[in-house]
Amino acid sequence: MKNSLQGRDIGICQCPVCQMTNDVSLGACPRCGTQLKCRNYASLQQSWALLITAAVLLIPANVFPITIVTSQGKIAYDTIFTGIAHLIHLDMLPIAIIVFTASIAVPWAKIIGLAIYLTAISFRIPIPKRVLMTGYHIIEWIGRWSMLDLFVISITVALVNMGQLMDAKPGPAATAFALVILFTQLAAKVLDTRLLWDRLEAQDDASRTAENR
Amino acid sequence: MDSHNTTAKDTQVPEDIVLCRACDLVVSKQQLPQGVRALCPRCHTALYDTPYCSINGMLAICLAALFLYFPANLLPVMELHFFGSVRTTTVMGGATAVLEQGYPVVAIAVMVAAVIAPGLLILSILSQILLIKYAIDSKWGRRLLKLLLTQQSLLTQLSMLEIYLISFLVSAFQLSDHADIYFSIGTFCFTMLFLSVLFLLREYDLQHMWSFLDEK
Repeated sequence: MKNSLQGRDIGICQCPVCQMTNDVSLGACPRCGTQLKCRNYASLQQSWALLITAAVLLIPANVFPITIVTSQGKIAYDTIFTGIAHLIHLDMLPIAIIVFTASIAVPWAKIIGLAIYLTAISFRIPIPKRVLMTGYHIIEWIGRWSMLDLFVISITVALVNMGQLMDAKPGPAATAFALVILFTQLAAKVLDTRLLWDRLEAQDDASRTAENR
Repeated sequence: MDSHNTTAKDTQVPEDIVLCRACDLVVSKQQLPQGVRALCPRCHTALYDTPYCSINGMLAICLAALFLYFPANLLPVMELHFFGSVRTTTVMGGATAVLEQGYPVVAIAVMVAAVIAPGLLILSILSQILLIKYAIDSKWGRRLLKLLLTQQSLLTQLSMLEIYLISFLVSAFQLSDHADIYFSIGTFCFTMLFLSVLFLLREYDLQHMWSFLDEK
């Protein structure tokens, strides 16, 4: 255990806002005035709550139509999934892949990934921490790309408004989808990842000893 | 908070250690060559890198970004020609169109991510630079700088210019099936705005900016 001395063990912690390393006994960061805490235990519950909200909202986001397109008098209700199927049908595979990644793969990966992560902390499931942390970094980085779908909708709606001839409107799923993005981003941001490294016992990460850089 | 300032001297943490923000590991800080980033040995989170943060260089990019911001948001970014009728839209127009259809949440999300947050980000960095250059000794200057720095990471996270840029391309391809799509000068300005903000954020180092408040 000699390589894994944690800040908590020697009574110092990092300011969450300005990243100054401080003595916990100071109470507030001398540089930016943020309250100093070794761990934010409440963050686990908050993260769960946000994640469950996002998971519930993911259902309307996928079931209801996200765009309503009128083309020469015919009205088509496209959900996220049928929209992508439509793109594949039109031989626009690269675009279909981008849209699939942004609006299906990323939100699902984010919710499932965070759920695994939180379960591992809450119920002490022995998944290697290194794997979990890599996943977390990926989720954190890729999460914002879901916004792509909303941007595309806003551009399309603003451009395509020619009445019966051709018209595009957003559908109710758009709001649900926006909220899914908001809540999953918050769930990842709010979580204090240091809890993971406290809670899992040392025997779970044998991989650590191999690495002494 | 001021009362803690006096006690800070006797509870000073050694200079040469740094804590990992993701796993709380104590890591001893080492000199790094230029362009190298230190990762946490346990969880591989980025810990610190050598600050390459030239204030005057950032000021130049920041002004360029500010000049590009207005044409990028006011000029049309895309044009659609459909059986003789022409439709154009601006970035802002996309948000208001969604709002008019009755989707305020979506409109706010688009507005914040593509217009408001990038604008505030540029303004905030510009004010930080000016404060550091001219008002670092005054009390209000330090207070304002502190306020701006605490909001910095939120603004960075909220501005999504790169995603908006990809959205242009995606929607252009989608619509090109039904109509003729043209890019215009606004698209060019928006791309340049994205590039200048990208380079601005590459230069910017939050830790380095905070360190200006330490030196008295």
